Amino acid sequence: MSNEVESAQVNDATEVNQLSSSAAVESHAGSCDEEMPLLLLNDVVRSIPNHVVKALLSIGVCSRCVLRIFGTEDRIYCHPLLSQSMLRSIIEEVTGFKSEGSAQFCSVCLGILQFSYCNDKETMVKMESPNDMALTIAELVKKEGHQIDGFSLEVSVPQLIMENESSLLSAMRKRYESEPWFQERLLSKCVPVKDVLKFAITKPLETLLDVKSSSAGCFRIRLTYTHKMASDNSVERNQGFKRRKIGKENGLHNVNDESVISNKVCSDYSTNETISVTGSSSNILQDQEPYEHLRIPIDKVSEPCHLVYLCYRTHIYLCGRYLKYSRNVSQTRWIIDEERMGEASVEEIIGSNILPMCRGDNYKFHAAGREDIDVRMLGSGRPFLLEIHNARQVPSEETVNEIESKINGLENKLVGVKNLKVVGSQGWTLMREGEAEKQKQYCALVWISRPLEDEDVQSISLLNDMQILQKTPIRVLHRRSPLEREKIIHWMKIERIAGSSQYFLLHLCTQAGTYIKEFVHGDLGRTQPSVGSILGCRAEILRLDVTDVKMDSF
Amino acid sequence: MVDQTHKPEETAVPNNLQQHHKQDEEHHQQQQSVRENAEYEDKELHKLLVPDITLLPLTPPSAVESNFASYFAPDFMNPGNDQYIYRHPNGLCVVGLASTHSAFKDKVGVSAVDFNVGKSDRSGMKVTGKRKKNAQHFESNTALCKVCTNDASYIIRCCVKGSLLEVNERLIKQPELLNSSADREGYIAIIMPKPADWHKVKASLLSLEEFKKLRALC
Repeated sequence: MSNEVESAQVNDATEVNQLSSSAAVESHAGSCDEEMPLLLLNDVVRSIPNHVVKALLSIGVCSRCVLRIFGTEDRIYCHPLLSQSMLRSIIEEVTGFKSEGSAQFCSVCLGILQFSYCNDKETMVKMESPNDMALTIAELVKKEGHQIDGFSLEVSVPQLIMENESSLLSAMRKRYESEPWFQERLLSKCVPVKDVLKFAITKPLETLLDVKSSSAGCFRIRLTYTHKMASDNSVERNQGFKRRKIGKENGLHNVNDESVISNKVCSDYSTNETISVTGSSSNILQDQEPYEHLRIPIDKVSEPCHLVYLCYRTHIYLCGRYLKYSRNVSQTRWIIDEERMGEASVEEIIGSNILPMCRGDNYKFHAAGREDIDVRMLGSGRPFLLEIHNARQVPSEETVNEIESKINGLENKLVGVKNLKVVGSQGWTLMREGEAEKQKQYCALVWISRPLEDEDVQSISLLNDMQILQKTPIRVLHRRSPLEREKIIHWMKIERIAGSSQYFLLHLCTQAGTYIKEFVHGDLGRTQPSVGSILGCRAEILRLDVTDVKMDSF
Repeated sequence: MVDQTHKPEETAVPNNLQQHHKQDEEHHQQQQSVRENAEYEDKELHKLLVPDITLLPLTPPSAVESNFASYFAPDFMNPGNDQYIYRHPNGLCVVGLASTHSAFKDKVGVSAVDFNVGKSDRSGMKVTGKRKKNAQHFESNTALCKVCTNDASYIIRCCVKGSLLEVNERLIKQPELLNSSADREGYIAIIMPKPADWHKVKASLLSLEEFKKLRALC
């Protein structure tokens, strides 16, 4: 075959390709219900120079990678029903390439686009087509019992593939840039492995799962490929590259020689087409390359990648307000030396009732502030956010209302819930927004060491936005910084209790972060002023209730 | 043409008015029920807040009694040097003068308190952070301060080995706090002992009951 004939063939093929590609874009809508457009595939293969295809195949590049490197627009190589064997036989038919022995794993994509991998049971899996792979994934989703209305596909591949690809592309560029067909087909059209995989299996997945895919899906299907070679060799290879670089700089003489050699070989090559077409093309590719480090990625790959499938829903959130009626229930699980403090926790009561309704794996409880175990949370309730991990289903409004009634109807009446609803990730912003302006309202049962006078009631009610200085209370001083904190008591009101002269109810509204108990008894004089110091006597607090957490957004 | 377009409007006006009235009433009723709900909720809340007076003790336990375990070191290093240690469940110890201390035998009582004893002024140290950086480590016999009456002065010591977190600086300007409430606002210092050090000293301390017996207090 002479040079001229070869170029003519290539030109013809390109023309044909241009004609058919526009048609292909329309017909190949990507539906796997359509029949495989085999004619189109034929055309596509013919549009790539034969000797290039054979050169790539002989160094272990898989058929799909060959096609994607040339980035044909119709992406026929992504068709879900296109099986390995079909693709291979068409390529061999068109180019006359004879594959040697058993199928290897692609030296560029490490077998990923051959749908071969090692699964978590360490078994080798070889899928025939993208559709088969999609079937396996769909089965996993159904097995988990996920109820979804969409999905987002994420693929992670070893870095090694990018390195292999760029080495191969630069080698190809060097080798073929002088050839006539090269100007038309720039190697920048190479389609990444990830995109090919995603495009191939997304449509069949949509059909099998009966939902649409989107990049912003809440349900994630993640395929993570790893390869033994990837972690071991990358460091070595980099070092090799460095060594090579230094060698070149030192020996100017050598560089000149090498470049002279390469030019010579190139021009020789273009006239000796017959030699290149047969199996020895790989040797020539490697030998005339001055960059010897490129040889390593072109090595045969004996093992495929290890694939881990993961499908999960991103966190869902439920928000609401909780009430705590008991003085023996902590807000969150509290365990000291394997013993639980209190008889239950708000977190567990709410979480354990919601998690099963979402069929989730785990929950995390977040509240806007907290109260002591012996302090009740009454009135409007305290805003909270419950994060549910990997929920198999998102509860409907009806279900949420049922959960709320169930919790409020529990026999022991320890905890109550209000305004429970599913909320998006904006739940976080809502919580944070409210925190800054938070004012809290309390009711304390106070005893003083002398009878209460009317003047006391008066003077207390007149104190508005009073500033107090609190040293870190002794009861938390072991775990908090010793600081003096300024706090504001917005207003106070004394409510007399019938039948008692020394007990009364103190209603007060304070800035967030105020220690109320210490404000009443003075904490050995470390909170100034205190209720005791204001009234000029000893004051003790018997019990405390939170009556309002002001937060509009909840 | 103009007349025809007016006609429907004229007949429509009374209907609109009627609708408005209805809406107003509904709105009013809604507001009424919201208010009633709020009032009902307030009443329910109030029921929860008001205690049953019959269940309350005449004199409740003090904050110190409820939150600390009291220990006493009678005649610590010197006869008449009775000191208390209030230990919180979190391990912190508040030390001070017991009511039976010699300083209170004086009619006037304490007149001055000086923290500048030993090698440094105890009121000058700054302890920072959760890890309590810069806290000085003292032995149980390290001096905390000097308490003066008209006739005498007494050295008050730690009684327990540990890190000094805080001294009661208010005593400098208001030494009379010791006379009025040595057991509360007149505390001397807060010390953080290691659990092992606490166990060692605990054996040599008396409980409130034992102390009362020793000093023949009621």
